[in-house]
Parts: sequence; C-alpha cells; structure tokens
Amino acid sequence: MDSDFAGIRVGVDTGGTFTDLVAMDVRTGHVQVHKRPSTPAQPSDAIFECIEQMDAPASRISYLVVGTTVAINSIHQRNGARVIYVTTRGFEDIPFLQRTNRRFHYDLQWSSPTPLVLRRDSVGVPERIDYQGEVLIPLSDDGLDQLAADIRRRLDGAARGDVALAINFLFSYVSPDHELMTRDYLRRKFPDVPVSVSYEVAPIWREYDRASTTLVDAYVRPLVHQFVQSMQAGLEERGFDRHWSLMKSNGGQMLSQSAADRPVQTLLSGLSGGIIAGRHFGEAVGQSNVITLDMGGTSTDVGVVVDGLVRYTTEWEIEFGLPVSAPFIDMTTIGAGGGSIAFINKGGLLQVGPSSAGAVPGPACYGQGGDRPTVTDANIALGRLNPDNFLGGEVKLHPDLAVQAVGSLSGSLGTSVEATAAAIVDVANENIAEAIRQMTIGRGLDPREFAIVAFGGAGPLHAAAIARSIGVEQVIVPPHPGLTSAFGTLLADLRVDKTWTNIVRSDRLDPKAIDDRLQGLVLDATEDLRREGYGGVPTLRRSVTMRYLGQNYEEEIPIPAGPITAESARDLLESFHQHYEQIYGYRIADEIIEMVQFNVTVIGRTDNPRFPEIEAGPDAAPVGTRSVLFDGQYVADCPIYDRDDLAPDQKIEGPAIIEELDSTTFLRPGDSLTVTRDGTAIVQIDATAD
Amino acid sequence: MKTNGEMSATDLVSMTVIYNRLVGIVEEMGTTMMRASYSPIFSESLDFSCVLFGRDANMLAQTEFSPAQVGAIRFVVKWLIAEIGEDNLKPGDVVVHNDPYRGGAHMPEHVVIKPVYYKGELFGYVANIAHMVEIGGMAVGGFAATATEVYQEGLRLPPVWLMREGEYNHDIWRIVMANHRAPRYSWGDLHAMLASLDIAEKRVHELLDVYGLERITTISAQLQDYAERWMREELRTVPDGEYTFEDHMEDASDPPMKDWVRLRVVVDDGSVIADFTGSDPQGPHVLNCTYGVTASGVYNAIFNLVDDDIPHNEGSYRPITVIAPPGTITNVMEPGPSVGGNTETHPRLWEIVLGAMSKAVPDRVAAATGGTSCNFLFGGVHPHTGRFYAHYHFDGVGWGGRSHADGNDNLCVPNGNCRATPVEIFETRYPFVEWSYRLRNDSGGPGEHRGGLGSERVLEVRAPEINVSALYDRMVSPPWGLFGGGAAATSSLLVKRAGDDEFRTFREAYGTKSNSRIANIKLKRGDRVMLCSSGGGGFGRPTDRPAELVLEDVLDGYVSVEAARDFYGVEIESSNGETVLNDDKTEAHRTASRPEGESW
Repeated sequence: MDSDFAGIRVGVDTGGTFTDLVAMDVRTGHVQVHKRPSTPAQPSDAIFECIEQMDAPASRISYLVVGTTVAINSIHQRNGARVIYVTTRGFEDIPFLQRTNRRFHYDLQWSSPTPLVLRRDSVGVPERIDYQGEVLIPLSDDGLDQLAADIRRRLDGAARGDVALAINFLFSYVSPDHELMTRDYLRRKFPDVPVSVSYEVAPIWREYDRASTTLVDAYVRPLVHQFVQSMQAGLEERGFDRHWSLMKSNGGQMLSQSAADRPVQTLLSGLSGGIIAGRHFGEAVGQSNVITLDMGGTSTDVGVVVDGLVRYTTEWEIEFGLPVSAPFIDMTTIGAGGGSIAFINKGGLLQVGPSSAGAVPGPACYGQGGDRPTVTDANIALGRLNPDNFLGGEVKLHPDLAVQAVGSLSGSLGTSVEATAAAIVDVANENIAEAIRQMTIGRGLDPREFAIVAFGGAGPLHAAAIARSIGVEQVIVPPHPGLTSAFGTLLADLRVDKTWTNIVRSDRLDPKAIDDRLQGLVLDATEDLRREGYGGVPTLRRSVTMRYLGQNYEEEIPIPAGPITAESARDLLESFHQHYEQIYGYRIADEIIEMVQFNVTVIGRTDNPRFPEIEAGPDAAPVGTRSVLFDGQYVADCPIYDRDDLAPDQKIEGPAIIEELDSTTFLRPGDSLTVTRDGTAIVQIDATAD
Repeated sequence: MKTNGEMSATDLVSMTVIYNRLVGIVEEMGTTMMRASYSPIFSESLDFSCVLFGRDANMLAQTEFSPAQVGAIRFVVKWLIAEIGEDNLKPGDVVVHNDPYRGGAHMPEHVVIKPVYYKGELFGYVANIAHMVEIGGMAVGGFAATATEVYQEGLRLPPVWLMREGEYNHDIWRIVMANHRAPRYSWGDLHAMLASLDIAEKRVHELLDVYGLERITTISAQLQDYAERWMREELRTVPDGEYTFEDHMEDASDPPMKDWVRLRVVVDDGSVIADFTGSDPQGPHVLNCTYGVTASGVYNAIFNLVDDDIPHNEGSYRPITVIAPPGTITNVMEPGPSVGGNTETHPRLWEIVLGAMSKAVPDRVAAATGGTSCNFLFGGVHPHTGRFYAHYHFDGVGWGGRSHADGNDNLCVPNGNCRATPVEIFETRYPFVEWSYRLRNDSGGPGEHRGGLGSERVLEVRAPEINVSALYDRMVSPPWGLFGGGAAATSSLLVKRAGDDEFRTFREAYGTKSNSRIANIKLKRGDRVMLCSSGGGGFGRPTDRPAELVLEDVLDGYVSVEAARDFYGVEIESSNGETVLNDDKTEAHRTASRPEGESW
C-alpha cells in the first residue's frame, strides 16, 4: 500500500445532517475539508458533491474510506429487502416469539418490535441437530426441493432485486453442516438471490439473537450493495480507479466489495470514525486512556479507549428487543445535543432531550419558527455562543428569541432567565456525565484516569463542565472539531474478527484441539484481511470467554501469544479465576470452568496521517470581549479568541472563549488551555472549582 | 406543577442527577447479578430485582426487572428492620429472608439486604430480591403446586444473618445447603446476590463521597415528595368515583374449583383505595396471596395507567392504599401456602384493577392477558453430567388488545418481566429435546384490536426419568375481552407418553386430581409434553376491525379463514392462487352481525 501515500487520502463521514470530507495531500501535508448537506435518498450524491469541491481531481485520490449510515437508515426507515427466513421446522416463529420481556415494567401502551421479516415468509425445513452436534433429523433432498418450491412461490410476483434469503437452523454454531448444505443448494437454485447464513454471520448460541442478526444482514444487503455499486460507478466516472473501503462497526475498514458481502458489519459504519480519531488525538499528546465525546445537533456519542485500545462489544440492539450480535465499537448515544429541547415534566422537574428541534425549525434562536428552548438557546442566553459567528457567520442567530424561549420556563421554575439557562446546560451536561459514568465506572474503569477528547459542533463547548463532573482533568480539542469523525476514517486500520462458539470444560480439555482450531481461525481471518486489501504482517489478538460451569454469561480473557499447551491452558484458567475475583469479589476455586467462545482478531495497521503543524508566530490576542455568565457570575469582559490565530505553545487562562468555524471552546475561570504544534488545544481543568 | 417551593435551580439539577445516579446503581447491581448467577432463571430470565432503601426503609430507587418483587420488597425491608432493629446491624452484615408471613411474596423469593454505613453512620440499605429455583420442600423446583400448607413449600427462613461483619455465618449456609436439592446452584446464586450488594455498597459510598450524607438524604426525601406530587397529579386525571370488578382463580379439577376475588376501587382527588373485602376465604391451595403480593398487584396495575416517567420510589406508592382482609385469598394467614399467589393471582389482581378502571379510563386499559405464568418445574440427574439439576420454566402469554393497538404476542405475565430461556440454552442444560416452539394461531381474542397470541412448545424427555410439577391457570375460564372484544384461547398442559399416539391431559394420563396443579410426576424417556399458553383478550368489537387488517392476519397465520368469518365477519377466499377478500360476503356478514338500531 506504500504507493497510496503518494496521492491524496480522503476520509468521508456521512452524518444525518451533513456529509463531511477531509482530504490530505500526503506529500505536502495540505489539508482541505468540505461539508455538504447529506442526501439520504442517494447518499453517494453528497459524497460526490464534496469530491467535486476538492481542488484536485478524483484521479489523484490514492486512498478513500467512507463511513456510511446506509445500512442503519434502511432499518430505521424499514425500506430494506423482503427477507425469506429459512429455519428448522417447528421453529418458524422464533423471530416473532422474541424474548418475552417488555421495554418497561409499567408501560401498557408499548408494542413489541416488528421483526424484519413477515410471518408468512418464514419457511421451515425438516432437519434437526442437537446440542452436541448429533443429527436427530437429517436434511433430505425432498425437504430441500420443497423449500425451493416454497421460495419460488414467494419470488413470483416479487421484484427479484428486493428479495434476500436468511438461513438459521438450531444449533448451527455447533454443527453448520445443514446450513451450509442448504446455502449451496439455494445458491444453485437461485443464483441471483443473496443468501445470509447464520453460521457465517454470527456463529453464536441463543437462536433468537442469531436469527435477528442474520435477518439484519439479509435485510440491508440490497441497499448496501446498491450504495457500493453507485459509489463505484461514480468514482470510475470521475477517473478514480483504485480500491476503496467502508468503515465497519468494529472501527476497522474493509474493502467496499467485502462490505457488500457482509453488510451487517457496516451497521454503525458512520459512528466509529470519531472514536478512532479520539484515540489518535489522545495518543498524540501522550494520553492512552480517553473518553471520546462527539456532541452534535441532536445527540452525543460517547466511546472509551483504554490503554490505546478501543473497547468492543457484540451486544447491541437496533431498538429494545431487536439484537444484533456482531463486533461493534462499544459506545453509547445519548439524546443530548445542541438542538435538544428543554422542558418541565409533569412532575415539575426540568428535563433536557431526548427530543430535538432538529434542523427545522431548529433552536428558537435560528428564527425559523421554533419557540421551545434548546441547549443552544441556553448557551446563547448565557453569552457562551456568539450569535454573529455561528458556522462562521453563515447562520445568523437571534439572541432575543433564545432569551424569550428560555424565559418561557422561568415562570414555572420560579428562577431567573439566567439561572434557567444555566440549569438547562447543567442538566444536559449531567445527562452526558451519567452516560460516561456507566461506560466507565459501570465497567470497572475510573474516569479520573482518563482525558476527554471533545469534538462535534458542541463537544468543546460542554466538555469542560462534564470533565469536572466526572473528575477528568484534561480535555483535548482536535483541530476542526466538526470534522473529527471524517478524519477518523483516514486513521482506521483494517480489522477482521472471527469467533467460534464451542463449549470446552476445564476437566475435559484437549489443548491440541483448541490450538488447531485457533490456528485455523487465524488463517481464515488473515485470508479475509488479504482479501480486504492488506499486504503486510498483521497484528494478532486472541481471547476466550469463560465462566464457571452453570453460569450463562462469560468473561473475556486474553490468550497470550504461543501455542495452547496443558501448561498455558492452566494459566488461562487461573487468569479467569483472578479476573472473576477482581470483579465479583470471590472465586470458586474447585469449580469446573467452561470456555465458550474463542475470538481471533487480526489487524492490518495503516500509517496514520497527521494534521500539518500550524504556523509559528506571536501569541494571538483576543479578537474581542463580551459578557458571559460563569457559575452565576457575569464576566463583563470575557476575552474571545479566534482559534485560527492561536500560535503553537500559546497558553490561555480562563475565563475565555475560543471560536472557530464549526465549534466553540469554553474555558471557565481556573481552567487553562495550551496549543500543540498541530493546533490541538489541551484544556487543563481546575479540579478545585465546584 | 408549581410546587417546587423554595428549591433553587441548583437543587432541581441535583435532584435529576442524584436520581439518575441511584437508578444507575441498581442497574449495575442487576448486571452483576445476571452475569455471576448460576441459574438461567437469573442469567437468562432476569427473575430478580435490585432496590435501594433509605435509613427509614423508604425506597429510593428500583430496577425494572420484576414488578411483583419490587412491590413486595417494600414490606419485607420494613418488616425486617422492625423485627431485628437497626441497632443490631453492623457494617458487612447481610441478612436473608423468604418468609411469606413477614412481608414476603412467596417462599422462592429470597431477599438479601445489607446495611450501608458512611463514616460510622447508617445511610440505608441495598437489597436484592430473587426467585431461587430450588428451595427443598415436597416438589422439585421450589414450586409445590399441590401444597396445602407452607411447610411443604420449602425451607422457610425468617430474617437470619448470612454474613456477619463480612464473614460467613456458616451455620445458616449449612442449613440452607442441607435443605435445597441443588446446593451447588443455591451457593452460586446466593454469591451472585452478595456480589450485587457489594457493588451497590461501593457505589453508594462513592456517591456519598461526592455529595455527603446530609445532602443525599435531603434530596432523596425531596425526590420522594416529587414522585408523590406527580403521582397525585396523574391520578387526578382519573374521574373520581367507585369502580368495581370481579374475576376468579381456578383449579382445572373435575368439577373445576373457583376462588373469587372481588374489588372495589375508590378514586378520590389524586388518591386510590383498592378494597378486596368480599373476596373468598383463603384456600388449602397455593393461589393465596400474601398482603405484599396483593398490594404489588394493585401498584403494578395503577403504575400502568399513569406516566411511566414518574420516579418509582417510595413517594409514588403513597397515594395508593390497599385493603385486603386477613384470611382471604388476598391476605393469607399461616400456614396457608402461597407459591402461586405471586405467579398466578398477581396477574389476575392486575387485570381486575384494569377491569375496574376500564369504566373510568377506557383509553388507558387493556383486555385480560393470558393470565398465567405457565409454571413448569422439573429436575433430576442429568445423564451426561451425573449432576442433579432443577429448573423453573415458564412461558409468555398473549396480552390484551388496547384502545389504539393490538395486544402483544407471547410476553411474560405482568407480575414479572422475564425473558424466555433460549431453546439452545435449555437443551444444553437439561435432558429435553424441543420439537417445536411457535405462536398458537387463533389464540388471541378477536377484537377491533386483536388480543396477542400465546405460545406452544413440545418437549421430549431424553433421560431415563424427569420429575415434573406444574401450576397453570386460565385452563377453564378464558381471558376476557373488553368493550365487545372476544375472549382468548385457554391454556393447556398435555402429555403423550412413549408408545401412546395422542396428547392427553394429566388427569387422563396419570389420574391426577387436577390438570392445572400437578406435582412430582415422573416422565420417562420418550414421553412428550405440550405446553400451551393462553392468549390475550380482544378490545372492541371484532366486526369493527378493518377487513384489510383481518386479511393481513390471515396471510400471516394469526387468524384462520374460519375465525375471520365466524368472529370478524370477514370472508376470505382463494382466487387464482391468491388469498383475497370477498367484499360482498364480508359486507353481508357484517351487516347481519350489526347490533339492532345501530348504523355504520
């Protein structure tokens, strides 16, 4: 891939509102950024608009990575494929029976989630494998022929391109034979109908979770495929003739064609760039533990990086009750953004979000008819946002409308407009702080050992207060905070995850068998990585999940390098005991341990580009002052800086406000900010302030 | 709305923050419990609840796992502190308790409670209430469906110390382990409960480090007042008046036995009194309720009628008063058994409250749910492991139609909120093979808003012997509809013994007294059981359901062509291989079924 570094590297982030592009000329270090309104009906349109705004032709692009929301949007909008679900006879209703629990205890009006398949399209096949892989009912030719007839009947009259097949048999994670035979048979019978197979998509136990994941894969397949095709055609038209990649939900990237083959992995493609970028900006200033805070107009995404490693999860839900078991970057989204609406609930307490004023009508201060107070209105009322310099002055804000909207809550709260505005900001900040606590304290991490990397339009404005609430002392604000997620797609490694569920008891353990299988997984994963475009020597990580016999949830334990032997297996079991004791406070020394899921991850590192150094020069002076409310006190002449003026190593003491095109950084009295060579701002939080 | 009194904006923010932190703590307790426990009833089904209490035994926050448990635990904790006295507790103590007559719910429901001290001063309590699967007694699985006295229902523990100042109280552990049939599971599950208490204690300490004891105590009290205020405000939207309803519990014996529950609800200016005076005397059977269970059923139903955002702390319970005369099925006295009161009678009480309130707030209620937990208990020695196992299996039921929507299919009864154990986990753990698990077509009550469907499973024994017990309800009297909606399908429990060619009731196959209450039946290899759960009742007249929706239901198999004609007045036929509506016949059916004097 060395030749890739000769031209321009381009990262694209497709958001709900805007599509962002960051382009970096590898030789000159020249960076350009472009932003266009997203085009949800044909997402590639906005990407091409951005590409056309570049000051170089597409043929000079050497490297392109795209984060996309195509897959997740097709689920939210329910415009994916008509899926035919093929399963073990007698269990056709698994997607409809679901898990039997409810979203809330006391919400009688709640309705269970609608599956991604119609009940009439669920087809049973006579076959059955048991929990030990023993065949109880063999898969027969007659059964397959009947299945083909059932499918053909459904295909007649349906538009071919919109149908996809999903196969999920009971215990396929123990023995995939019947699934694979059925897959091959159906591919022969229906060569132009895509097939998703549960063993390939998610070889995990729990038939409903596997069904749900396989259905998602099939459901989004035609649209992801169509997106890849239209990107490919448009790129070729513009003279681009190389491979290009999509972001995966696991924070890695994969070649576009592979993404079309395993679309479930692109579900959170559009969200993972920010965390990858957060890790980069943390490491650049020597922080390997960071919390990423991406606060935009409607929501805030929080992720955690520990010791330079992004955390992953395989437990994620589209909505309550619709699980997807695939590797995801572990992150939380909170309905707290600049446009989040503040209101007084029926009990009389002030609440903020999750409902948002959106782009239309937007916050009251936009003057587009919105009259409900938002977080942005509160910030305007407090003097923290500059009404004349929002998005570089492109959008003119109306402070009087902001004050009026905020004031509409003051009456019932019995507080002044200023106190109400401060409370709105505090509640939004605390909602985010609580989510961070759950992502850290809730997982055995101490937030005080972390720095926050704050980006998105509103992240730098709120990060200092959130940091103080959770005991974080440092906030890192990358250059161009509005484009950090797009930049993150340029930093993504290639990454393939493989898992194998196979229950192994510690008293019946065969180290050689495990070792053979692990080596097989590593080979498979490495093969995939090559297919996805990596030519170097990959980094390898292995782990196994374990539990005491009888438990149903496992703890993940890393497997050190080297072959699995009787001795290293003993060490692994001891690592589990120690890990368990650390979390739960006791160990069960004489209990049998079960190993459940073996995981292999191979990573092909990419060389990370960096933002060019900013020009040296004298420290910038404030461009003006204005009156800003801090902690109940007005600072009449709070200095305002233009971020583009700041010099390397410049230090600014709070109170101060730093404005730039797409964001505002807020320094409270006692906080201080220093600027690094590449223009990153580091805010030191005064922990003594309340 | 306007009664925040002297509070400043800072206080308002703090209240929100602290309440979120308290809920965060109980949620983390729940995750710890789920991950560390041994029994699928906890790890998969989540049949436990975690609660924080103040020093005065007032509830500060709860997790949303099981409504029946959180309703009852208020009484347990109050009782426990009154009986043993807070002065007799020390840091590191853990007290356990499952006594139904001391505020408890039923015998399997074990409460562990740990006092939390801060700088030498008692702050409050962390508690976990969990349904333990095997507690000894006359039948495997802690569920003696045919018991006539509490002594048959398992090992009863009054409040006793499981831990003293952080050390095991070995005598109690030895008694418990000697009386439970699967002590290894009990040991693992009790430790998971203890781990959840430890994590909560640590988190409460961290919270107190930030805010201080006094501030947390003050704000907790304000939060309770706030919840109460909001609850009263919500209840004021219900028209004042007296509303009555009655329904019964049953035993599918020959002839069937019925125990009536009668309710009068008085709504008066933001307060509710639920009075069960006039209900049948307690019976020599397990469907009796403790006072805690009866009160829980009422709270649970009322909470479903008001804004779900009201914080569920002590204050939200204050406007509700429950009168349950001692010695009736709604307030059992020693030694009446009660294991099914929590699983079967609680949902019926919940439905009875909704039935009464349907006269006041028709748009907020639902028709009857399937109304039974379909308790199916079994145990034995696993042929592959040689170890003793015990399992408590239950099934979801259809829920009732609502004023704006159909009822949900296959959900846990309202007293709990448990997840079903996946087939793949079930078969890996226990020597059954499951041949089918599906929705029961036509089991939802017909209605403008159709009732949800129940489920059906067929299990086959793959061991020399499995000892089973079961407790069902709604086998005889079907779940009712509302406002012209029809009744749903009843539940059933059938067996096909190896060599037999059809499924039969347990009365037919084994000569049991009842089809719905069986204990200690020994199934043999090759025997099959069929577990069928009931559907939910319909809401509104089925002939008001748009014919297009009925067609969709038929296409998806929820409703048969016959039921579409007979109940919905919709004629559906096959035309050139397509299933279509016959508009003329449909109109004719629907005109004929229209009540006299009404026009469309």
